[in-house]
Amino acid sequence: MGDLFSDYELDGFFDEVFEATGVRPHYRGVLERLRYLSSDDLERREAIRDGIFRSAGITFTVYGDDDGIERTFPMDLLPRLIPANEWDIIERGVVQRVTALNRFLEDLYAGEQAAVHDGVVPRWLVHTAEGFRREAFGIAVPHAARCLVSGVDLVRDHRGTYCVLEDNLRNPSGISYVLENRAAMTRVLPVAFAEQRVRPVDHYGPMLLRALRSVAPPSAGENPLAVVLTPGVYNSAYFEHAFLARQMGIQLVEGRDLVVDEHVVYMRTTKGLERVDVIYRRIDDDFLDPVVFRPDSALGVPGLLSAARAGNVTIANAVGNGVADDKALYAYVPDMIRFYLGEEPILPNVQTYLLWDDEQRAAVLDRLGELVVKPVAESGGYGMLIGPHASDEEVETFRSRVTEDPRGYIAQEIVALSRHPTLIGDRMEGRHIDLRPFAISGEQVEVIPGGLTRVALTRGSLVVNSSQGGGSKDTWVLQAEGPAKDPDASTVEREV
Amino acid sequence: MRLDIRYTTRFRYAGQVTESQNELRACPTTDDHQWLVHYDVTTFPTSRVQSYLDHWGTRVDTFGVRLPHDRLEVVASATVETGSRSQDPPSMPLAAYDQTRFRDAHLEFLQTSGHVAWGDPVAAAAAECAVRAGDDAIDVIMAVQESVAGLEFRAGTTQVGTPVDDVLAAGAGVCQDFAHLAIAMYRHLGIPARYVSGYLFTVDDATGEDRAADEVEVETHAWIEAAIPGWGWLALDPTNAQEVGERHVTIGRGRDYDDVSPFRGVFTGRQDHELDVAVTMRRLALEPLGDIPGGFMRQVAQQQQ
Repeated sequence: MGDLFSDYELDGFFDEVFEATGVRPHYRGVLERLRYLSSDDLERREAIRDGIFRSAGITFTVYGDDDGIERTFPMDLLPRLIPANEWDIIERGVVQRVTALNRFLEDLYAGEQAAVHDGVVPRWLVHTAEGFRREAFGIAVPHAARCLVSGVDLVRDHRGTYCVLEDNLRNPSGISYVLENRAAMTRVLPVAFAEQRVRPVDHYGPMLLRALRSVAPPSAGENPLAVVLTPGVYNSAYFEHAFLARQMGIQLVEGRDLVVDEHVVYMRTTKGLERVDVIYRRIDDDFLDPVVFRPDSALGVPGLLSAARAGNVTIANAVGNGVADDKALYAYVPDMIRFYLGEEPILPNVQTYLLWDDEQRAAVLDRLGELVVKPVAESGGYGMLIGPHASDEEVETFRSRVTEDPRGYIAQEIVALSRHPTLIGDRMEGRHIDLRPFAISGEQVEVIPGGLTRVALTRGSLVVNSSQGGGSKDTWVLQAEGPAKDPDASTVEREV
Repeated sequence: MRLDIRYTTRFRYAGQVTESQNELRACPTTDDHQWLVHYDVTTFPTSRVQSYLDHWGTRVDTFGVRLPHDRLEVVASATVETGSRSQDPPSMPLAAYDQTRFRDAHLEFLQTSGHVAWGDPVAAAAAECAVRAGDDAIDVIMAVQESVAGLEFRAGTTQVGTPVDDVLAAGAGVCQDFAHLAIAMYRHLGIPARYVSGYLFTVDDATGEDRAADEVEVETHAWIEAAIPGWGWLALDPTNAQEVGERHVTIGRGRDYDDVSPFRGVFTGRQDHELDVAVTMRRLALEPLGDIPGGFMRQVAQQQQ
């Protein structure tokens, strides 16, 4: 371990593993385990990891990149640990946030629009959000579980406070990496894993299936049939679509496998048509139903919205969720929490500036080089400006973009993201990380312990997205009861 | 005026097609100026028609035919009672349109939309009307109306989707073009304007007594409504250079044609087809309404739940 961490620098950032006085208590066991690993042993373990991921075919497509499109999403050997008391805050905060977002969306599309009428969320912002879908009006979702799967991106600031960076309420991906990382980690560091009383994640599939069945329309009967709808093998997250269908033991279908008859959705099978009650769709709204949305879409199912409106099928995630993860609406989520739940937000937002406001825009344009600017409707880290890392030319480009389309962008203070030791070559170096916990909304909102920890692999980079060259870490949420076992020097990570 | 309307859409396909899924927006609405007495939709091949009110308040009839067919016929039949309307808004300065609350409430009718995206030529034409009319909002609205009504009605020069600047340059178009152009000019001036889809009964001297004379073949029609702060919506028909009265039957309102297009659908099979659309309107003699099955609008709202 001495070798691994020689010259390890904190550089003034909040470090997940080290505090001023040494190793944080919850990391001691794992670091002790690593101490016994020779560099040869580490290499072997890396080779095992690479073999596991290659054979599983885990790749991620990067758009806008000319050299080859399939990449692996490398998992670091050192896991990220979250102690029970911290997880408790995250879990309660995410449940609270997603509950409020569900309420807001249900109210917007199938209710009285109270938040809009009461001025909690400006009407004009809703009506100018790219993800607002008037076509979805009047389609209610059981339990208001509109964000059936959501990913709330969290970062820790220089004090270690968990803050919400953005919400992903349409088709958040990444859960397959959480499960695959865990499966790989239990083989790469089996002893350390066994000692740490890590809360499991492998019940995600059953949990998702239970939620999907819980939103089946009342007409579905005792044993509702759910399917996963994918745009097909060319989609960047196809691997995950297939993975989830397998985890749940349900059919993976494409649009052409489904047909609507008399406002009921059926799946074509070798034995004829089989009624479908719930569709976990990983197709964007615009491609979902060519009768209502883009008429040229061959990916969707004609008549699907009519079937949903008739109460014969539930579409998850619900249509039109993009309005609420528009980054300009993000700024209003704390108010939604107060309005719909009467509670104070547990997890704070990052300080955000709304650029259509003349005063805020002027202040932002004065110090553009110190801030982050993001387009409101993008996800995946595309089209962002990170002031301190940008050239003068890039800053000027964003200055004119913001001036031309103030509604199209938000600015945020730069968060000095926490760092985590990450194996770079044969040494540990600090790299910035975030966390995407996955929440599932069914009869209630639940969060799978942990989530995807993303690592910005480039030194100094603050962008963790897999599409921007990020890596990942297995995320271990530790059990609350009792301290972890003391590392026992007689058991070492065995030769593998 | 009591009117019977029969709206027929016939598709003849080049071969057998399957999995046709469709939306029809043909049902007259009920509002302050008209009342829907009766409405039904039938299709051949037969299908289960499911109806709902969309975001804009327009009744939408959805239906599909899954099994192979080589033609599809849809007949919407309506009986509607129309009344005259007050078309006498108060005069007010254009500055009345600047209130934030008013603008916010009418936002979607102030912005560009798919068919209402204008460039310099339309902007200049609108500005010219405003200069000519002076400061009174109603004068400005009427100036735009006259300006657009000065275009020539000519079928075949445009299609739905012709940009409003091109319509202005061509100096001609059909009712959708007139409506889109007028809406663009209003929105450019900061006056909220919306697109109205409907039917226009074109017989001037119908009495409802003579079946042959009281019946006419028409096409679906389009006109516009401009918002007047504190008063409501002023309906204007730029195609016919006239105010909207009891011969106009409203189906629905939206930002432009796409929000109220009468028929949208997809099917699987060879795409070649013949389409024949016919609208027949007939004036009926006024007679006691009798027992109208109660609460049509409520029924639709319930189906939507």
